[in-house]
Amino acid sequence: MRLRRGQEPTRRLAHIWNEANCTACGACIIACTATNAPEMMHREEKGWNSLASNIRRIESVTPTGRPTMLLNQCQHCANAPCVHTCPFGAVYYNDDGLVAIDARLCIGCSYCVAACPYNVRWMHPDNGLPKKCMGDACLELVAANQKPACVQACPANARDFGDIKDPNSSVSQTLKRLPHRTLLEKAGTEPKYFIVESSS
Amino acid sequence: MNVADLTLQADVAHWSWSIALFLWFVGLAGMGSVAYYFMRRAPLAFTIFGSLVVGLLLVVSHLTRWWNLPITIFYAIVEFSFNFESWMFWGFVILSVHLVFSAVVVLANIQFLQRFWFLRWAAVLNQSNLFLMGFAAAGFFATVYSGFLISTAAGVPLWNTALIPVLWVISASVATVALIELFYVLGWADEREAAFGLRLGMGLDVMKLLAVLAFIHISLTVGSVGARIGAERMFSGDLAFMTWVGVIGIGILLPLAIGVFTLMFGKKKPLLVVSAVSALAGVLFLRAAVLLAGVWEPLVL
Repeated sequence: MRLRRGQEPTRRLAHIWNEANCTACGACIIACTATNAPEMMHREEKGWNSLASNIRRIESVTPTGRPTMLLNQCQHCANAPCVHTCPFGAVYYNDDGLVAIDARLCIGCSYCVAACPYNVRWMHPDNGLPKKCMGDACLELVAANQKPACVQACPANARDFGDIKDPNSSVSQTLKRLPHRTLLEKAGTEPKYFIVESSS
Repeated sequence: MNVADLTLQADVAHWSWSIALFLWFVGLAGMGSVAYYFMRRAPLAFTIFGSLVVGLLLVVSHLTRWWNLPITIFYAIVEFSFNFESWMFWGFVILSVHLVFSAVVVLANIQFLQRFWFLRWAAVLNQSNLFLMGFAAAGFFATVYSGFLISTAAGVPLWNTALIPVLWVISASVATVALIELFYVLGWADEREAAFGLRLGMGLDVMKLLAVLAFIHISLTVGSVGARIGAERMFSGDLAFMTWVGVIGIGILLPLAIGVFTLMFGKKKPLLVVSAVSALAGVLFLRAAVLLAGVWEPLVL
């Protein structure tokens, strides 16, 4: 269900990634593609130089020489630039607070791709749609009261998904208990992808 | 700088030469429409219309779902889902209006068609100052839109500056003046128009130089990491040749030098052709360099 301007979502679904628990096995990335875009298995997103998936793995080395890794995906921003820039309203907020796309209204201008500060969208080479988390198959899982594919596939319980408006949800409990951060906090996008920094 | 996730905008969003050409054609048609108010000549009308059509064809060919455009417009009207916040939406509106206005102006300038009584309204409109003021305004706003289109793409920090719409208007004006110089050489503009264009062009060249250098300087010194990387690519990186030789050398300094020479020693038509072509090329290089230099803000340093 599409939210109208000024309307508040009934739920605010959010993703959590616990970087301390994550073993960087890549199961979430594979599960995402296998579930939402199986035709893209073994096909590369050329701009990212990695598997075409709604989750992107970014590796680096800190100035002290320590390896570091980030799993990046759509942040389902409450103030999403992609929603503001889409000319025909193809990108919208649904009543769960998620940023979704209506394929009927998309012309493939890639303005949402260029507008996303997190660089999480990729253009599907077959249908020309700008893809990102959550894929259609994961939205169906959520509608059926299941967790998204990445959460189900994670062997280290490093991922979670739920309603941050509900104080009793597992994500709310984790965010209350453990230190966490969001990406590009100063961008004003109010991201809803939380990176938890401690395992206990 | 160790940047792990440096992604070029052109590799993922694919806004590169085809979009640079689109912006160039829209600028030429846009500021050309402003010039048409003062210089109502058929070749200018045909150039404006042709630029707009080619520019629109380029941008439509760039859409990955161009075939969905009629369906999108149908549902957007039925569900009234137009996004009035989006500069691209306003671009559709402005370019549509501009295209209709320029088609009327072209109709009025085709003498053969004016034999038909049912097309004479075009000639009447073409003589109306009010109509041509609207045409000029549509062209000006089309050029302004082409700048805001880039500067509101929040994912590319190099572009997030108010300078781009201003720079686009200045450079599109440079291109229009270059076009008038070419028309003079071809005998389609008179001495007075060419002399005015020459002086105006030199002033615009100086302003364009200042704006280009300010754009790079501000991004290099106080921009975010992503903006700085983009500006570094233009200043000293893989796009430095295009910036210094294409945008500044060929696009600004050469026409400026020819302008000074012409003021001192009089007009030489071959030199005017060189000046005009290089100025037009420089405007295209500017758009291409700014587009290609765009990178996302690195999330991991």
